[in-house]
Amino acid sequence: MLDKGVHPHFDHLIDLTKGEINRKIFSDPEIYQTELKQIFARCWLFLGHTSQLPNENDFFTAYMGEDPVIVTRHSDGKIGAFLNMCRHRGNRVCRADSGNQRMFTCPFHGWTFANNGNLKTVPGFKQCYHEELDMESHGLVLVAKIDNYKGMIFATFDAKAPSLEDFLGDMAWYLDMMLDRREGGIEVLPGTHKWRIKCNWKFPVDNFIGDSYHGPVSHGSAWESGFEGMPRRKKGYGYEGFQINAGNGHGFGARWAENEEQVYEMALPEFLDYEHDRFPETHSRLGDLRGMHLSPMHGSIFPNFSMLWQSGNIRVWHPRGVSETEGWSWCFVDKKAAPDHRDMVRIHDLQRHGTSGTWEQDDVDNWVQSTKSSKGYVGRQFAQNLSMGVAHEIEDPKTIHPDMRGRVAGFQNEINQRQLYAQWAKMMNGDTPDVPGATV
Amino acid sequence: MSTDIRAISDIDLWFSITQFYSREARYLDDLEFDKWVGLLAEDLRYWMPIVSNRIGRGIGSELTERGHLAHFEDDYVSMSNRVKRLATGRAWAETPPGRTNHMVSNVEIVGKENKMVQVTSKFLIYRSHMETDQEVFSGTRKDVLREDADTKWKVADRTIVLDHAVLMQKSLGIFF
Repeated sequence: MLDKGVHPHFDHLIDLTKGEINRKIFSDPEIYQTELKQIFARCWLFLGHTSQLPNENDFFTAYMGEDPVIVTRHSDGKIGAFLNMCRHRGNRVCRADSGNQRMFTCPFHGWTFANNGNLKTVPGFKQCYHEELDMESHGLVLVAKIDNYKGMIFATFDAKAPSLEDFLGDMAWYLDMMLDRREGGIEVLPGTHKWRIKCNWKFPVDNFIGDSYHGPVSHGSAWESGFEGMPRRKKGYGYEGFQINAGNGHGFGARWAENEEQVYEMALPEFLDYEHDRFPETHSRLGDLRGMHLSPMHGSIFPNFSMLWQSGNIRVWHPRGVSETEGWSWCFVDKKAAPDHRDMVRIHDLQRHGTSGTWEQDDVDNWVQSTKSSKGYVGRQFAQNLSMGVAHEIEDPKTIHPDMRGRVAGFQNEINQRQLYAQWAKMMNGDTPDVPGATV
Repeated sequence: MSTDIRAISDIDLWFSITQFYSREARYLDDLEFDKWVGLLAEDLRYWMPIVSNRIGRGIGSELTERGHLAHFEDDYVSMSNRVKRLATGRAWAETPPGRTNHMVSNVEIVGKENKMVQVTSKFLIYRSHMETDQEVFSGTRKDVLREDADTKWKVADRTIVLDHAVLMQKSLGIFF
């Protein structure tokens, strides 16, 4: 039924007034197949950063859902992306994770494509195909739209998708706290952590977008053994912080500093000198709210991009079946940062997050077990509980600060997870994507 | 071993190092992490670069370099802290602890100085965790070992290259 374009309503699986989510969405293979179409073929998905393609003909491979793609900087300098799938027999035309090439030759029969996706040569075009193969229509399948926001490259396979700017909405404005706090923005360091977790892809996204609640329990051991990892108030002042939902399923959590002094008070000790260095520039670029009051910690962009701003960490959660996820994690630094600070950020990040991260590894089994318990017939009758603070959103966020955008709740509130699943239901219920070649 | 290492016969040196590696593996498998830290030099460099797939002109540059992201880039203090974390009782990735077997082989002495040896070896580590989780870690270690009066050797520099481009393990919570 699902494949015929008749979409059952997904709203009943998400109860926003109670904050209850039907566990079926984490374990049902049919729902997962619908996600690949309604979410991963419709949304703008993060591919990488422009700093990863510094030269003409540079490329890296990535995924959009379960579809492998190649992201290239063409000979004309423009960035493009297309399916890593030969139009002949579906073989991957590129088996490298990154490199520099003008052409991609399929290892199966030798069809050769330029790095803008065009099919250039086919062995035996005359002798075997009698010049009857339409070369023009057999290029690599291009994404429908590709764009970047201050260096962050996103693409979508849906020709009907809104612009990237509209998709990110107010989140772009908040992302400036990462991307535009210093002149030159950020760059992503070479090297990607890639690893498999036997969990549904939504659990890590949910964890990163708004689960500030799990920190002290899940990560207490790291915290007390020398791996302090997040801005923390040293004294009890003002607001603890906020969960901010920027709309379209995007959100983040931030600490609140009343003044410049408190920014330094919350800073991680090893970054303190750097915080002093960068603060005046950030403050003048972004103003009081984004340049001083908010110290963002964790967040996600719908559907599967997450970040830990202060640790210099960004990641994507690639779906690999209903019960498996592949994490890709990168480290970023301000382009302006001096070498010694880059070293500190990198070491801070990798000792806490990603494959060997003392924080990360303690999250994994939580997600695995939540996934497993969604499979038992009895267990999945009971809702995933995201009710924290359901009636306690801040009515008028402008009372906190006149520049505040989006919906806001206290730091310990599951508003961001609820809005994540609300967006999930909206996409699942919505129009089918206008995907190249799709007939359903 | 107070003499110059270069004066020790190859077979004696090889025996001493393989015994050291077996002891190190036993400490890790028996969860005697404090004893394991005792085998690390205080100026330790412990590094695991990331491997990726390359073709053509990229062949030979599969590993991330110094200054790039790595799986591990640790020193004596951070490795001691990783061990301290395990002792808190709330290091959930190891609660309950995984059951590991560290197998170290192909031990080859590739360089000698007065008090140091350079050694390469292969490892295969099997880990069973909780009910059914099974993980295999395969790779190469390149060590600089320094002679030590108490423990015979200490690990001064260890580069670990895992064979996996996408790790099929849920995390790197064990030591190599």
